[in-house]
Amino acid sequence: MDLAVKDIRRHLGKFLATIIGVAMLLAIVLVMNGIYQGNIADGVWLIENTATDLWVVERGRGGPFNESSRMPLDAYKSVAATPGVAKASPMVIYSAQRDIAGKSQQFTLIGYDVFGGLGGPGGIVQGRAIAAPHYEIVADRKLGLALGDEVPFGTHEYTVVGITQGAVDASGNPLVYLSLPDAQEAQFQQDNRALAAARAANLKKLERAGYSSDQASRLLPLLSSSGDTVNAVLVNVAPGADSAVVAQHIRNWLYFNVYTTGEERELMLEGRLRKISAVLGLFRALLVIVSIVIMALIIYVLTIEKIRSIATLKLIGASNWVIVRLILEQSLALTLASFAVAYLLREMIAPNFPRTLAFLAAETALTFGVMLVGGVMASLMAIWHALRTPPQMALGG
Amino acid sequence: MTASPGALGSPPQVGAGVRRPVVEVENVSKTFGSGELAVQALKPCTFNVQQGELAALLGPSGSGKTTLLLSIALILEPSSGRIAINGQEVYNNGWTGVDERAFRRRNIGFIFQQHNLIPFLTALENVALMMQLNGVNRREATRRAKELLGYLEIAHRADSLPANLSGGEQQRVAIGRALANEPPLILADEPTAALDTERGSKVMSLLGKIARERKSAVITVTHDHRMIEGFDTVYHLDDGRLSRMPETITAH
Repeated sequence: MDLAVKDIRRHLGKFLATIIGVAMLLAIVLVMNGIYQGNIADGVWLIENTATDLWVVERGRGGPFNESSRMPLDAYKSVAATPGVAKASPMVIYSAQRDIAGKSQQFTLIGYDVFGGLGGPGGIVQGRAIAAPHYEIVADRKLGLALGDEVPFGTHEYTVVGITQGAVDASGNPLVYLSLPDAQEAQFQQDNRALAAARAANLKKLERAGYSSDQASRLLPLLSSSGDTVNAVLVNVAPGADSAVVAQHIRNWLYFNVYTTGEERELMLEGRLRKISAVLGLFRALLVIVSIVIMALIIYVLTIEKIRSIATLKLIGASNWVIVRLILEQSLALTLASFAVAYLLREMIAPNFPRTLAFLAAETALTFGVMLVGGVMASLMAIWHALRTPPQMALGG
Repeated sequence: MTASPGALGSPPQVGAGVRRPVVEVENVSKTFGSGELAVQALKPCTFNVQQGELAALLGPSGSGKTTLLLSIALILEPSSGRIAINGQEVYNNGWTGVDERAFRRRNIGFIFQQHNLIPFLTALENVALMMQLNGVNRREATRRAKELLGYLEIAHRADSLPANLSGGEQQRVAIGRALANEPPLILADEPTAALDTERGSKVMSLLGKIARERKSAVITVTHDHRMIEGFDTVYHLDDGRLSRMPETITAH
């Protein structure tokens, strides 16, 4: 006779309510797993989905993702001339916030050489890549744009010609690709009032330095900020060339920092993602511990409620195994059913979750294993108490 | 039931034929604590209970009744003496090493004051459980449990949970559970305490019937003097000292 099953059947409502409660907690653990992995997946998505061998950035900087990096546009020509370099392309990357599709949205603009350069969007699921030098964009689906939509950046309207799926920056914000000059313009172009203010300030600076008004006016263009700046140069190494040698050459002769895609990934994981990953990991571990503690308490309370029956069982001669099995089976049933419900809840939550959730089957299996072992461990306290219960407790009033 | 000290000699013959002793207790005593704090809960006592005998252990609270019952049930270790159940020595100035749970399962049926049925099992399952614990398969256990409930005239409540049974019905199910493995010895701890006089009398009649028909030895602990009429033997425990009450009072 399976006492655990009989007990569960008689107290089905209570057991189901307990399962739902524990399942909600476990669902949070599973979603936290997804957030943790999603955070990493988002963080390295752009690095891993940009077809390049080397990232050339401003010297002394860990750019272009962890730290700002500014380089003259022409730098890519010097890089391209380096022995072992097959192709070098400039890239602009910066974050923006605009009203798009009726709401204020954060996204990252990627400017690249649309005519055969590196750094363009991969995995266009709708439409096409940018084919014109200006005013076309490829946007991620997350922005809520459709093909043909017009989006204002700066003083121009841009037409959506392609849609990507899952193209996000390190913060999980969608990417918008556009041509390099358009990106530079959108990034650096100032409106008339700002230009006038900058011009007046520069004039005053020159006049304070002793230049006449006329001289200052003639020198003014030299002080104007240039928009010919890029954030990185992407490099494809020629077949047979050694990436490390090429990188060293660029470092030594062009005075830039150079990272391989692997190093760039490490920079991201060890830099920008490290703390948030640690926080999420800690939070995840705490949730698992809290879940196991709560399960232990539930199993313990379920056992205490049956302690007189357990004493009776011992008195009438039931072996310890009968009692251990009663507790253990209920613990396992609670763990298995709660995990199954938690899994369903996770599947329901995931599509509407505001951040990327990345679920690894191995990690889900590991969480299941930990919870299963935790469930067994949780029942140990109850088993210990049950086995210590004297059979004479069944006697008397 | 034969008690000593008191040199009561051979046990009374209940019904026809010679009956063998099911419970043999010789000079069993129990002392709790040691030194100045030692309390002798049970002074050395000797008695036998025969097959088919209905014996009562009477006494006020704290007189040592439960101590003696627990010792016979292999739950509480006495301080000295010898106990044999159904011919097997289980204690001789120390446990003899029997598997106490398995021994209880096969040889002793328990009836409690509060019935102590497993609340999440039906009446039928409560009785069948006892057999299944003893290795009887589910089908056979269910069949025999139904028979037992019929014998106890409660078959119509077989599928009821204990919470839906009256006190008297619960006690009948508890008696069914005690009889499930046809044990030679039944220990009843205040089986009528939670029942009114009428239901209590019925339960006592039932225990007498069981002792006679099933040849089990039944030892009933009670402090209720009204219930002693049906017993073959009545023993009184007072301050740990066992004495046999006059047979005239307890005439069958």
